[in-house]
Amino acid sequence: MLLLLMCLAATSLRAQEQTEPQQAAPAETEVPKPEKAPLISGVAVSADLVGFIMKAMNAKFANMEVAARLNILDKYFPVAELGIGDCHREGAETGNTFDVTSPYMRFGLDYNFNKKHNGNRLFAIFRYAFSSFKYDFGNETFTDPIYGNDTPIPLRLDGQKATAQWLEFGLGVETKLWSFVRLGWSFRYKARVGLNAPDEGDPYFVPGFGRNDGSGWGGTFNLVFDVGKSAKKAKAKNKSNTEQVKTVSTK
Amino acid sequence: MRRCLPILLTILMLAACEAYDCTLNNHVGMYAAFDRDGTAVQINDTLTITSGKSGPTLLNRSVNTASLNLSLSYWQEADTLVLTVKGTDYLLRDTVWIKKSNLVHYESPDCPATLFHTIEEVRSTNEFIKSITVTRSSVNYETTTNLQIHLL
Repeated sequence: MLLLLMCLAATSLRAQEQTEPQQAAPAETEVPKPEKAPLISGVAVSADLVGFIMKAMNAKFANMEVAARLNILDKYFPVAELGIGDCHREGAETGNTFDVTSPYMRFGLDYNFNKKHNGNRLFAIFRYAFSSFKYDFGNETFTDPIYGNDTPIPLRLDGQKATAQWLEFGLGVETKLWSFVRLGWSFRYKARVGLNAPDEGDPYFVPGFGRNDGSGWGGTFNLVFDVGKSAKKAKAKNKSNTEQVKTVSTK
Repeated sequence: MRRCLPILLTILMLAACEAYDCTLNNHVGMYAAFDRDGTAVQINDTLTITSGKSGPTLLNRSVNTASLNLSLSYWQEADTLVLTVKGTDYLLRDTVWIKKSNLVHYESPDCPATLFHTIEEVRSTNEFIKSITVTRSSVNYETTTNLQIHLL
């Protein structure tokens, strides 16, 4: 699904670039100045809509996260992501249950490949992520098959503590929706680099990572709000565009 | 868009499959072997093992027994095993006490949970058993010998 969205975004991005009005050719004597973004080009906050939608749909697991990032030269974007991972799983035939609701954090950098400052961005993504969490494992019908006379002794292991660390690499696209509102998609490969779990067993689900394994895939669908400098710039641009339209119409 | 479609379908198909990855050999057993003066032997007569006097029968009328694979209790701190050897005109009986700690073990909600054990102490009566050596204290999915039973 994410890949499809990314494809659509890339197509629309290309289409936008193609349909941009051609500016009048400069006079032969004028040397066009390369576009240069300010050092701090803005700050943005965002939310991954997939996790919230999954939670609203009562899915078995969901990673709900928000993020904040800085825009440096419209090329480097240091990012901090904070989220809550939630999972409830029941074994198909075993009667086992697994529950976790815990926070996770990611820090990293997005690198924008698009040299034009036209509001569209194609990112390379790198993140370091970690989560320190507690989870519950249980079985209400747990029975000792030899010594137990088929009498269940409920098994409850609550508050099992674990920590996990992983790295994420991926690609993302982002496009301007309206004024300071943007939409972004990302697709990421996750590589687990550390896991500390109790002797009883490893967690089934790691918040922010997904199903516990050596590696995995994930994605985000972000609603992004530019705040700070870039938002002001966008407002000013909108205002000047409106004034220009008024001037033209009065003429 | 057309180029993306096959990739997308492949990813969706892969995502639809869910592997459970449960351990295939998921039997937790305590393994024991017999020897006499350092030489491996087998008990040719009929061997029956029960848990205590009224507990479950763990081994019923086994002959030519060279090794044992016995289940330990999930929750008891010590198990009592009664070994009875019945020959043509004799009956020998020894009792083995195994003190242990128990640890719940799980892999996934989709795999059965079980208990691993750590053998802390073993002692026995000496009608036909001379002594018992703990060779591996961890009782888990591994199948190597936990107890070496030295016979008289």
